[in-house]
Amino acid sequence: MANKRQLVKRRKAVRNIRKITRTMQLIATARFQAMFKRVSASKPYSEKLAEMVNGLAGLDVELPDSLLEAHSETPRDATVVITSNRGLCGGYNANVMRTAIEHIDRMANSGTPCDVQMVGKKGIQYFRFLKRAMTEVSHLGDTPKFEMVEPMANELMARFRRGEATTVHVAFMRFHSMGRQRPEVVQLLPLAPQKDAGSDSAGGDAGAGAVQYDFSPEPGKLLEELLPATVRIRLFTCFLEAAVSEQIARMVAMKAATDAAGDMIKSLTTQYNRARQTSITMELLDIIGGAAAVQ
Amino acid sequence: MAKATTFHCSVITPEREVLSAEATSVVFPAHDGEVGVLVDRAPLLFALGIGILRIDGEKGSQRFFIDGGFAQMLDNNLTILTSQALSQGEVSSAKAREALAAAEGMKITDDASWTARDKAIRRAKEQLKLAEQVG
Repeated sequence: MANKRQLVKRRKAVRNIRKITRTMQLIATARFQAMFKRVSASKPYSEKLAEMVNGLAGLDVELPDSLLEAHSETPRDATVVITSNRGLCGGYNANVMRTAIEHIDRMANSGTPCDVQMVGKKGIQYFRFLKRAMTEVSHLGDTPKFEMVEPMANELMARFRRGEATTVHVAFMRFHSMGRQRPEVVQLLPLAPQKDAGSDSAGGDAGAGAVQYDFSPEPGKLLEELLPATVRIRLFTCFLEAAVSEQIARMVAMKAATDAAGDMIKSLTTQYNRARQTSITMELLDIIGGAAAVQ
Repeated sequence: MAKATTFHCSVITPEREVLSAEATSVVFPAHDGEVGVLVDRAPLLFALGIGILRIDGEKGSQRFFIDGGFAQMLDNNLTILTSQALSQGEVSSAKAREALAAAEGMKITDDASWTARDKAIRRAKEQLKLAEQVG
């Protein structure tokens, strides 16, 4: 019976898809673990840097204002949006884009034009589709490297110093924990004290400001170098967190796909068995009917 | 009890912790020259330049090429934060020579490009120095 054979075919196809999605899930899990390690590996640097800045902030130093205040009267925003290069990661890119566009429109409505730097092929495709203006950045790959993010941070700081941007934001998927990632827009410049968990430990070190350090060069100059370093590491952390969130999103999406394929196989098997039973019954009825007619 | 003769030294880049070890003496390239640190050094906070970091421990010494950053000494804990730290095995004289040639070929059009060229040359030269110390 044609129906039966079709069911077998479909079941086979779904089985193959399940194999693929399960493999992708495993790959995403492995990638997630590798990325997670990188995020934890970058923590000591940012924490130590925050500690040094705090040690200096405790002193009565004349602050170099080049990164702390806007350099132009006309407001103009620069926003970096971090999306992924690959798809099949559920609502990851859609969520980031929604938050980013909300932010851009809000800025535009309040009279602040927004220059968008789009990272990742998916975001670029989406913005091209919407015909929105953006600068495309697609050379960064899937594992962000510091030496690749550094020039970008330097460029943003240079634009900020020249007054071409009065604020710099980053829209990305913040990694809170394994089970929680949220799309966020974070202000990178002008430099503001960090609000998240990092500031707790830094707050505890405020007493360290009392330590009498030997400085070289003098504290003001030192801060002039420390603050850009802080901006660089913050941007880098955003990239790392986005990459971790992407892998988690892909893991979850592929797990859901694998489960859905499993359910589908089950229902197809039931349908197939039913069809088989029906055809057997029909045949039996035919035979019995034939035998009865002969008698 | 004898007084401690070693202090803890860690080298950290944004990507990973390169080294965490006990050291007897450390010489790091500050922004304006080399600085040596021994045990019980008073707290310091220095900006680093481009150069070679030497860490002498009880089991011999280690050298790294480092590219700017900061050094902090506090309670016998020396922390070196740098954007790049390459151990002796990670630099090769051939690559450094190539980088040097590339750096010398950079065009100077304004102050920024002059500084960039200068930095690139210094980076390549210091890496070359480190690579050739092996032999």
